[in-house]
Amino acid sequence: MNQERFWRGLVYAALVFAALYYLIPLYVMLTTSVKDMEEIRTGNLLSFPQNIGFAAWGKAWSSACTGVSCDGLSGYFLNSVKMVIPAVLISTTLGAINGYVLSKWRFPGSNIVFAMILFGVFMPFQVLLLPMAQTLGWLGIASTTTGLVFVHVVCGLASTTLFFRNYYVGIPDELIKAARLDGAGFWRIFWRIIIPMSTPIIMVTLIWQFTNIWNDFLFGVVFSAGDSQPITVGLNNMANTSTNVKEYNVDMAAALIAALPTIAVYVFCGKYFVKGLSAGAVKG
Amino acid sequence: MGALAIKNVTKTFGDTQILKGINIDIESGEFLILVGPSGCGKSTLMNIIAGLESPTTGEVCIADRAVTNVAPKDRDIAMVFQSYALYPTMTVRQNIAFGLETRGIAKAEQNEIIARVAKMLQMDHLLERKPAALSGGQRQRVAMGRALARNPKLFLFDEPLSNLDAKLRVEMRVEIKQLHQRLKTTIVYVTHDQIEAMTLGDKIAVMKDGVIQQFGRPQDIYENPANLFVASFIGSPSMNFIPCHLIEHDGELGVSLQGMASPYFISLAGRPNLRARLGEKITLGIRPEQLDVAEAQSSALECKVKITEPTGPDTMVYTEVNGVEVIARVHPRLVPPTGQSIKLVLDMKKVVLFDPVTESRI
Repeated sequence: MNQERFWRGLVYAALVFAALYYLIPLYVMLTTSVKDMEEIRTGNLLSFPQNIGFAAWGKAWSSACTGVSCDGLSGYFLNSVKMVIPAVLISTTLGAINGYVLSKWRFPGSNIVFAMILFGVFMPFQVLLLPMAQTLGWLGIASTTTGLVFVHVVCGLASTTLFFRNYYVGIPDELIKAARLDGAGFWRIFWRIIIPMSTPIIMVTLIWQFTNIWNDFLFGVVFSAGDSQPITVGLNNMANTSTNVKEYNVDMAAALIAALPTIAVYVFCGKYFVKGLSAGAVKG
Repeated sequence: MGALAIKNVTKTFGDTQILKGINIDIESGEFLILVGPSGCGKSTLMNIIAGLESPTTGEVCIADRAVTNVAPKDRDIAMVFQSYALYPTMTVRQNIAFGLETRGIAKAEQNEIIARVAKMLQMDHLLERKPAALSGGQRQRVAMGRALARNPKLFLFDEPLSNLDAKLRVEMRVEIKQLHQRLKTTIVYVTHDQIEAMTLGDKIAVMKDGVIQQFGRPQDIYENPANLFVASFIGSPSMNFIPCHLIEHDGELGVSLQGMASPYFISLAGRPNLRARLGEKITLGIRPEQLDVAEAQSSALECKVKITEPTGPDTMVYTEVNGVEVIARVHPRLVPPTGQSIKLVLDMKKVVLFDPVTESRI
């Protein structure tokens, strides 16, 4: 009995340690971002801030220098929003339609098509950079937000298709047959029968795509320029712009601003994420 | 009027031929059963009738109209599925309305139809519930209601009772039969359960390996099976098959049966086409209820009681004849204790003979 309690205690201790290990960087970022430079210079990294102030946040948002311009991250943030919303919606919608076709309207060779799409999940995106740059040039959308949306849609399709296809495989085919006998066609079955059953997997895909696209740096830095650059690139530019003093509080605030949307998505939709993943696991 | 005609339908998937030339013709209002073991092609045939799959060759006519190339929704049919296939995110009312809505029926008329169907199947109180909140029997009922609402020329039932427990299955079986008698619609019903086939069907098509083994009225199929497979598939417990040699005894053709005592000769005189088989093996088929306990003095087949299974009205007596297990269905009062002997007589009018090699009827 005592031995059992000892082991249980040990397990909890390990878990608490792991939690702290991952939470400390967040704590340091939060506290540093509300300290002033004087306190950062004289104080301890882990000490609790004495005078909480949000000046660094304001500076990061609207007046910190990113290269030659000094307008803060607000413009980049807006770019990211303009990029992430269409990219997430389009890639999720197309993934749902792909998954619906590949699971419920199979055609000769559909398994091969699926295998090829699946291949995209495992492909390192670096190999895409040159051909994609070429394609964007041909399409005339290089260095634009539209171009970035295009890139993210294309690269996200593999995983969104995989998610939806595996979820839809678990929906009985008889449901589709019944709807066909009821007189419904491809799209009516999709909108009226399939989509209402898809809430968990839609949530999973939205979160997944939002996080990936918001956090993307590679495509942002390669395929955008000037007024279309996303926040990850802005953050990088700000941290790399050298002035006479390194303003840690502003950098920390900027990093938190960049991370806030994904944190918010997890906080508000996290339960759907877990639910959706497990629903998919059971059925798929 | 022909309600459903299937002409020379074949279906091939890759190298395997699922259906090998199916011909079925039924009249309006008839209840057709497609029965057979799993893998016999009955579900494929059902899908072809529904238009969910197309035949490789052959033709399907519904109500004297060729529909081979007509989409499922334009065939004027409705189907009840094994898994019920109710739309899980819709209420019962919406489930029924969905098919009406896609056909452009006005809202007021939809409500009228739903009310009529709900009343007919006594499910008014379920209309606002979702399928997840229904029991198996209720879901079954809703699935039937959804099919009924459309008032089609042809109803298709794909193993509709196989997910229900035994008691509910019997109840729903009776209910389906009553419904059929009331509505007089043509029904095609797929099942692997020979009792459902016998109890429900006006006509039964017994299928195996993509071929219709026999097509006819239930009682005809029961009494005059076309071959060994049909004889063994229809009826429970199954027909007894006793391997024998055709011999001549006192100038009469017949077979000899060996129970626990001396061989017992039964005459097959008067049956045609037997003379040529003298000396050859034949299989004698007799159903358990066609074996009865003999009167005390008469000559009979004496065999040993190995196991008895009382079912209430009758008792199944397991014995051995010519080295194979034989079951007799006898009155409980006439059953001797296990291990003792029982004297049996055969109802010779009902006995059927098979060729053991071709398995067809002689």
